Amino acid sequence: MKKFIILALTVFLFYGCTLDNKHKNITLVTNSWIGYSPLFYANEKGDLKKLGIKLIVSGSLGEASDIYSVGKADMVSGTQHEYFWLKETTKDIYPFMLLDKSYGGDMILSNKNIRELKNSKKIYAYLEVNSVNNEILHYFLKKFSIKMNKITFINKNQIKIQELRANPQKPVIIATYNPYDIVLKKHGFKVLASTRDSSGLVVVDGLFAKIKILKSDKKIVLELKKVLDSSIDAIRKNPKKSYKLISGYLENISYKDFLNSLKKIKWINKPPKKLLSKLKKMGYSERYIIR
Amino acid sequence: MKTLSIKLFTIFVMIILFMSEGTMFYSFYLKSKENISDLLIDSIETNILNIKFFLKDHLEKNNIDNIATYLNTSSALSKTILAINLLDNSNKLLYSTDKSRYKKKSTVKCIRISEIQNKDIFKQKCYSVSVGTYSGLKRYSYNVNIYINHVYISSLLSDQIKKYSIYFILFFTVLMFLLWYILRYTIVSPLEKLRQFAYYSTKMPGKLLIRELESIRYSLDLTFDRMKKEQDELYKLSTQDSLSGLANRLSLLEKINWLISKGDRSKSEFAIIFLDLDNFKNINDSLGHEFGDEVLKIISSELLDIVRENDVVSRFGGDEFVVVLPDIEDETRVLNVAQRIKERLSVPIEHEHYKYSVTASIGITIYPRDGKDATTLLKNADMAMYRAKELGKNNYHFFTEELNRILQEKMHIQKMMEDGLEKHHFKLFYQPKVDIKTGKITGCEALIRLIDPKEGLIPPDKFIHIAEANNFIIPIGKWVIKEAISQIKIWSNTKLKDLKISINVSGIQFLDPSFIKDLESELLGVDPSKLDIELTESVLMSKYDEKLETIKKIKKLGLSLSLDDFGTGYSSLSYLKNIPFDTIKIDKSFMDDLESKKSKRFIAMIVSIVKDLNLEVVAEGVETKDQLEYLRKINCDVYQGYFCSKPVKAQEFEKLFV
Repeated sequence: MKKFIILALTVFLFYGCTLDNKHKNITLVTNSWIGYSPLFYANEKGDLKKLGIKLIVSGSLGEASDIYSVGKADMVSGTQHEYFWLKETTKDIYPFMLLDKSYGGDMILSNKNIRELKNSKKIYAYLEVNSVNNEILHYFLKKFSIKMNKITFINKNQIKIQELRANPQKPVIIATYNPYDIVLKKHGFKVLASTRDSSGLVVVDGLFAKIKILKSDKKIVLELKKVLDSSIDAIRKNPKKSYKLISGYLENISYKDFLNSLKKIKWINKPPKKLLSKLKKMGYSERYIIR
Repeated sequence: MKTLSIKLFTIFVMIILFMSEGTMFYSFYLKSKENISDLLIDSIETNILNIKFFLKDHLEKNNIDNIATYLNTSSALSKTILAINLLDNSNKLLYSTDKSRYKKKSTVKCIRISEIQNKDIFKQKCYSVSVGTYSGLKRYSYNVNIYINHVYISSLLSDQIKKYSIYFILFFTVLMFLLWYILRYTIVSPLEKLRQFAYYSTKMPGKLLIRELESIRYSLDLTFDRMKKEQDELYKLSTQDSLSGLANRLSLLEKINWLISKGDRSKSEFAIIFLDLDNFKNINDSLGHEFGDEVLKIISSELLDIVRENDVVSRFGGDEFVVVLPDIEDETRVLNVAQRIKERLSVPIEHEHYKYSVTASIGITIYPRDGKDATTLLKNADMAMYRAKELGKNNYHFFTEELNRILQEKMHIQKMMEDGLEKHHFKLFYQPKVDIKTGKITGCEALIRLIDPKEGLIPPDKFIHIAEANNFIIPIGKWVIKEAISQIKIWSNTKLKDLKISINVSGIQFLDPSFIKDLESELLGVDPSKLDIELTESVLMSKYDEKLETIKKIKKLGLSLSLDDFGTGYSSLSYLKNIPFDTIKIDKSFMDDLESKKSKRFIAMIVSIVKDLNLEVVAEGVETKDQLEYLRKINCDVYQGYFCSKPVKAQEFEKLFV
């Protein structure tokens, strides 16, 4: 009789344990930045799907942050700007992987040179205000002593911004990043400054997640790191093949542009201590960063 | 280990099933609730995200006109959104899609949309999201509160609860019926059959589905079979004599006691025949015990052969046997059995080239007259057996002297009859029938007489009833028919050729299937009208229809028929109406009582009725002239009696006729 009761209860408990075996997909939201190519590569290879990660590509990092902030995504990619903004608004965001450091990938374009800009009475500045564009533009204005009072700031996302065409009558400066710069250059804008020649400006991209994901899905997160490391290696070793796979995510840029874009970033998936230390000073949490 | 009834066990299983099914359905419900929750969260998040994106692009400071339509449409098209409120940084309402209810809603606590995953979607009524717009580099913050249509969301859940409750009840009911049916068919019913089989051990259940139960059934069957064999063996050992295979003393006593009980109820009698072999000791002494045992076996077999199936034969001890004859109606059968035993034992027994004659002395008792219990009956039968031994062995003797005398006499007469038939000791005597008007002899009645060489004349009343009791009347009757017809043949060429001879036929003879055939064969070459068959009323009293058929056949043969001893039985006129009698014979008792007026009137009345029916009337037992005169006076046709002549031999009768 005792055995029977124990057996019945065991079956009952086993049954109870199997009630909720559904594993929800993890959603990762990003945008078309060249530095996120490993994500696109892993997605195309099906590695993200194997890990149960769903990739969403939004129009801008600001939109990606919004999606994350309303809870529709569990992971988000972004610069330190998005990280600090989301940290302030949602409180629940932690960097777990660094991807790349901008090395010319973020830049200031203009239809005028520095001298012409200094002489201009009114300058139109296009940027995504709620992005790292803001920091870059301010860095540029300060560096070249361009007065703020003659600047008219216009907040637009990069998809809109890339529609601008150079008008000699209208001095314009644009804070943008790769690959949107490619079209703008074709529209007559030229690079005045970039993160390559601004050693004081650090723009790093990383992946962030909610604490719950980092704790309950730790294995997935670790696997994701491995997958992205492999993807970065694959992109480095065989850019042509990688390009064919991921060009659709990068506004359909040419292979040449793709190669040029890759030169404008540095992979920091295995970050040096020095960089981490620098980031820490900026307020970057390194607690969950996987090296 | 504590035992558990099937009923309790079933209840326990049902409870487990109920819990399991309840858990299963509850999990389905939770899963369903979770799915609904996910869909709702997804829907709310998407709506909020769309609103946020729209507001980021279109919201301008101090201008809400270009977003009002969008908010109204979003609220109206979404089933989950009840209302949308737009508030500025200081929580001042800028716009509401449902201003009339704003105050009420303003008391509702809104949580950040990012917390939606951690809250119960079915309880939370409001979510908020902040929207930032920029004028230049200056950021303006707004809050959007989205109020959830709680009634709609709750209805989704209550629909699920209702649905799963119905499914649960239906499923559970079906499951319970199914479980009950399966348990009943496979366990309860077979167990009940096994219980009945174990209790009554009569009707063995058919093959059972459950292996363990089938094993029990098979084992029970084997056990009962073995027990039955052992029981039979034990019964045999306890009730049978090991040497002869006959019932032993114990079994005999049981049977006698049972017959006593039965006899008390049904007033039936039974006989005990106690048989002791004469000088059996000599066999053992001279030929050895082995031979003696063989003799006992042979005698046992002979005894079994003699008696009926329901009679009991037992070995009482040594060389003593007891035969019990149940349901005896008279002692004749007992006598017959005793006689047969005596005769059968008189045949020498042959075994291993030895021949040995065995005789036995037999004592007989009859319940209840010779004893009321088994011990007394057996003791008295033993005493009767010793009496038989005293009288010279190889004999039988009844315990009651009077009965013994009667029965011995009966046997003696029987023996005389058998000898008489064989050695022609039977004779027919003829008593004339005289026409009253003319005084001439017109016929005669043939009357049988037994003349034993030693005993002399034995009157019919001494032997006829014995002959009727053991059916010896049939060969006697045949002899009478043969003898009477032979006499008709003899007289056919003499002056007596017109005489009619009457013969008496017994009821038993009447039922003999060969009776008519015998008549037919004997009558060949004889005028059948010269033979008259006399029947008494008593002959017709039983098996009337059968006998009526025989009467019709007699008439068809051309014989005449007389009703004998009329007036002594029922004197039923229906006989006269239905049976084609030719003659009615008035019983002698009327003549004997002719002195009384009453008798006279009766005779006159009978004669009158018979004459009216155009039948001949014969008065029997006429012994005086007065009687004859009276008969003449009342126009009686014929008389018979000593006044004319007693029954005489044929030769004397011929002289009378002359």
